[in-house]
Amino acid sequence: MILTTPVVLAGRTAPSRVMFGPHETNLGRGRAISLRHVAYYERRAAGGAGVIVTETASVDTSDWPYERAPLAAECQPGWAATVSACRPHGTLVVASLGHAGSQGSAAYSRTALWAPSRVADVASRELPMEMEEPELDRLLQGFSFATAIAMESDVDGVEIDAGQHSLLRQFLSGLTNQREDEYGADRALLLREVLCAVRDILGRDRILGLRLSCDELAPWAGITPEHAAGLAAELAKAVDYITVVRGSAMSTSATRPDFHTPSGFNIDLCRDIRSAVGGVADVILQGSIVGPDQAEWALSSGVADLVEMTRAQIAEPNLVALCVKEETERVRPCVLCNQRCRVRDGRNAVVSCVVEPSSGYETTDRPLAPPAAPREVLVVGGGPAGLEAARALADRGHQVELVERSEQLGGSLRLSPLEGFADWLASEVSRLGVKIRTGEAVTSADFGGRTVVLATGSVPGPRDYDIDGGQVLDVADVLRAGLDALPAGPVVVFDPVGDSVGARIAELLASAGRDTTVVTRDAVVGTQLAVTGDLADANARLHRAGVQLVKRSTLLAVRDASVVVEHVLTGEKQELACGLVVHCGHRLPDVTPGEVRAGDCVAPRTLYEAVLEGRRAAQGVS
Amino acid sequence: MAFRFLFSPFRVGPVMLANRVVFSAHLTNYAEDGRPSEQHAAYYAARAAGGVGLIITEEHSTHPSDWPYEKLIHGFNPDVVEGYRRITDAVHAHRVPIFAQLNHNGGQASSLYSRLPVLAPSAVPDPLFREVPKAVDDKDIADIIAGYALVARHCAEGGFDGVELQCSHSSIVRGFLSPATNKRTDRYGGSLANRARILLDIVAAVRDAIGPGLALGVRLCGDELIEGGIKLDEAVEVARLVEATGQVDYINTSIGVATSTLFMIEASMAVPPGYALFIANAMRQAVKLPVVGVGRIKDPVQAERALAEGHCDLVGVVRGQIADPEFMAKARSGHASDIRTCLSCNQECVGRMGLNHTLGCIENPRAGNESVPLPAPRLRGRRVLVVGGGPGGLQAASTAAQRGHQVTLLERSSTTGGQAALAATVPSRAEFLDLPRNLLAECKRHGVDVRTGVEATVDSVTAAQPEVVVLATGARPKLPWWGEELAQIVDVRDVLEGRAAPAGDVLVFDELGFHQATSVAELLADRGCRVRISTPGMVVGQDLGVTLDMEMFLLRANHKGIALTTDEVIMGAAEGIEVQILRHTTGAMSTERFDWVVCVVHQEPEDGLWKALKDGPFEVHRVGDCLTPRRANAAVIEGHRVGVSL
Repeated sequence: MILTTPVVLAGRTAPSRVMFGPHETNLGRGRAISLRHVAYYERRAAGGAGVIVTETASVDTSDWPYERAPLAAECQPGWAATVSACRPHGTLVVASLGHAGSQGSAAYSRTALWAPSRVADVASRELPMEMEEPELDRLLQGFSFATAIAMESDVDGVEIDAGQHSLLRQFLSGLTNQREDEYGADRALLLREVLCAVRDILGRDRILGLRLSCDELAPWAGITPEHAAGLAAELAKAVDYITVVRGSAMSTSATRPDFHTPSGFNIDLCRDIRSAVGGVADVILQGSIVGPDQAEWALSSGVADLVEMTRAQIAEPNLVALCVKEETERVRPCVLCNQRCRVRDGRNAVVSCVVEPSSGYETTDRPLAPPAAPREVLVVGGGPAGLEAARALADRGHQVELVERSEQLGGSLRLSPLEGFADWLASEVSRLGVKIRTGEAVTSADFGGRTVVLATGSVPGPRDYDIDGGQVLDVADVLRAGLDALPAGPVVVFDPVGDSVGARIAELLASAGRDTTVVTRDAVVGTQLAVTGDLADANARLHRAGVQLVKRSTLLAVRDASVVVEHVLTGEKQELACGLVVHCGHRLPDVTPGEVRAGDCVAPRTLYEAVLEGRRAAQGVS
Repeated sequence: MAFRFLFSPFRVGPVMLANRVVFSAHLTNYAEDGRPSEQHAAYYAARAAGGVGLIITEEHSTHPSDWPYEKLIHGFNPDVVEGYRRITDAVHAHRVPIFAQLNHNGGQASSLYSRLPVLAPSAVPDPLFREVPKAVDDKDIADIIAGYALVARHCAEGGFDGVELQCSHSSIVRGFLSPATNKRTDRYGGSLANRARILLDIVAAVRDAIGPGLALGVRLCGDELIEGGIKLDEAVEVARLVEATGQVDYINTSIGVATSTLFMIEASMAVPPGYALFIANAMRQAVKLPVVGVGRIKDPVQAERALAEGHCDLVGVVRGQIADPEFMAKARSGHASDIRTCLSCNQECVGRMGLNHTLGCIENPRAGNESVPLPAPRLRGRRVLVVGGGPGGLQAASTAAQRGHQVTLLERSSTTGGQAALAATVPSRAEFLDLPRNLLAECKRHGVDVRTGVEATVDSVTAAQPEVVVLATGARPKLPWWGEELAQIVDVRDVLEGRAAPAGDVLVFDELGFHQATSVAELLADRGCRVRISTPGMVVGQDLGVTLDMEMFLLRANHKGIALTTDEVIMGAAEGIEVQILRHTTGAMSTERFDWVVCVVHQEPEDGLWKALKDGPFEVHRVGDCLTPRRANAAVIEGHRVGVSL
């Protein structure tokens, strides 16, 4: 594979063409790169990553975009430790430097945000101050100073952020730069000055990278692909590589979207930029590239010189090593759910992964040694918790039998867009020699003195409304049976949870031509989608699909051809025509007595907890 | 006024209090790595120095399964004791007793930080966190009880004078007490005696752990304000059960559930002061134990009255003492009118808590920074000229004067207060006026020469020969391009300042998402207009959610017939007024007719003086909206910062 071949950047050789790109982790200690960061990066270096770009560090104290955002002035020891940890694996370490400008937050610094012009960020609505000469000087000095600190840490290079959350992009864009001085007349002037200042300090034997938004998806005033091609061609002389990204403050979800956007969405854009650059600098493809095959194709088709596969390596730290061994089918697949890895969020959740919950917890979730003596273990339930338990048990050398009462492995994951992970788990347990029985119920009589792990999943929860006729179906049953089998009439989706389930079934129903209404107690549908970045997009998709949204309301009663809903604050009631209610409420554990339990049978939650507890259950078997 | 009741000493079990005011438990987000920080110690010490009768710290978690928000104190880790000792030493230096609050939040939590199942009496998901908890078994219950005892021992070791069990607004104990969340059929569910069993078990275990020398209190929720929840009569019964143990020294009270009716726990100015005293009153009639009353008590007169009227034995004053740590000292010395009274705006205290930020205060820029002492002034007696009498200018002037400078403040209008005073002209926002009122009083106390009705010009400023100029000249409205031509398209300030009097059908177009739009909409609806608020955002008045003003606003809006529409952008307006509205999620365009359009959009800075003076012969600073228009908190913080830096 080309993917696993070395590549030379500024005279430094990366062992593979796979980049682990800069991303928010909340692993920092204060604003410094922490030992947790180092362990996180080292794990990917050990797995064969070619280039690791560390979490973007602010170059000036005026920028504090999220609480644990690194600050270059505090990063020297952490960068140095990252270099020491990764260099033995051959991996190049590049420090990302940036300033979030108007996309920052005043909540931590308690100072006005900096921006080219007084244009408020769409999300925060915070009005920034227009930078004047002293601020511009400070910014340039900040980039120079940060570069000097990075060099003191002996990094292989630095990457300048003109991507999504960046002041430099805000200067490049007509959306945010309305200045009347030379920085408005020539919107790339500041970026050129920054690159020039950084190169002066860096010299030619270290890598200078540029992350550039090449399409702001706002052609009326934003950076367009045509504009970006010209810019990239010009700037290529100043840098060693350009990573092609897209998006602006008006499209924050477009830069690292979830599975609603197909992977490889930047391929055409990247190819055009690469041809404009004409080999003067290396060009790196970004954009939901999670499969080694697609990455390989992009390299062999002239789309890019390297591929950024960040989420793929959060899910599978050994991605490159498995490709080298030609065992790509063993790569634990990123399912592009964004549930745990998208952490630019005030709650400061640590970066992690629903399919690999140890990601971000490298210093605490240490792999256990093989057991003293292999045991016979029975795993009851073939959903993600049971499958992960069986996989981890078999991997540690135990003799494992897994029994699933339905005909198919995967459990409730089969009803979700993340189903691909169920296929991977099923193939792994079979590769590891787990004995699998499907279509069979288990009683305690079958335990036969073996160690037992229970992962029996969940059952529908209570329905807190009157049912005087009409039809109510659980969303799981609707998804299992398919939409064709549903009774006629308008459908009311009752979603008291606000995760992806209610919004998704409503979209499916509407696209099947059904008259659909969502009833939610919240002010928007799918509040929990804020975490994945899909909240605004999901609501817009529902609007476009013509789904009626009844907000701040709850379901009181189901009748023959209608439902009664009540506003949660005013108590006002209304009756909606309805032939079918799809219930998306919380579920309850399927409780089977037993000591070792994992996943939904403990408490029905998400895939993350299922995988985490499945693995813990396996590790608990000595 | 003499405070007969407020300053009478009072005994709580083994602990003697000098007066009746309690700085009761509230979150601060000051913890670092699960441990109390130096900021905690300095924060509580400042209120102790101000003469409060009793401090109760924020909650200390009693079990690793309990981690609902990032900066929770993990009381179950022995390494907290050092931080406890730092807090208690700092507070005891002022001869004020301090208790620690113990708690397990139960189902009112998520596994995000702990990566452990959430524990609750039954598998009933919390309305906010929406994570299905694990219904605790006997072993879990024993662990939880042991956790309370363990943390109580840590607190005793750390020098606390007592502990309080939070069994009220966010607690596994209330979860057990409440029929809404306790569906158990074993000896911990069903009858009230069963539902209260875990509470009584915890009381016994904690008393055993702390011995007779420390006070033990129980904080109870008097009304959960939810369907099927605890109501007052049952809460009073629980208080009787608690008293009957003979092991408890006082009862604290509270109202609401933090994860569903928070707006009634930390009520904003939309809810009348003293609104929750009826709970303390009912409990005090039922038990002999001392009872603490709470509920937006923000000045000593209200506190005195709550005591005089017999509602309670002690009064909780939290926000009032965040805003002014010297609340009690000023009341005692006959200077109650100097107290920087809380606005109950909830912007920097409650609001920042909900966003995982550190606790602050819109009026008190030192709140949250108590552990970082101000640098001693390098120079004194500098001639400082402040231009602009809004919150930023007043704060800069006050701080500069307090640090020994000679300060003159010029305000071009006839009164100070700027936009803060304007915001308070809307009846439902009247308490916001305390901000400029308090600041002006502070300026005058510290000798600032405040001159109103004086327009500063380049010439007059230069002629005054100041050493330092602080520009706090504010902002002016700027209509969107589509609103520049028509007389019936106006800014919110045109309405509040009386330059425009919209009538008939009014569209309030809101890009700011805070009180500006909702206030003016209510005002116009009260004047008989048919009002619609339209926003490009997904929610009208989105940030009212942060300050807990959303629920009450929605109720009032419903009552006043105000329509609320979202996801809309205005693409143009013509005579009529015909407004072209784009629904940006679908691309649908519509033209709708209104008599008036009120724009609530970003302003532009009044920075003419800045541009003319910044390269002048004296030091020039700018603060607040003239730097870039934002909210009052930014103006106050920047005014203070500049005042300190001179």
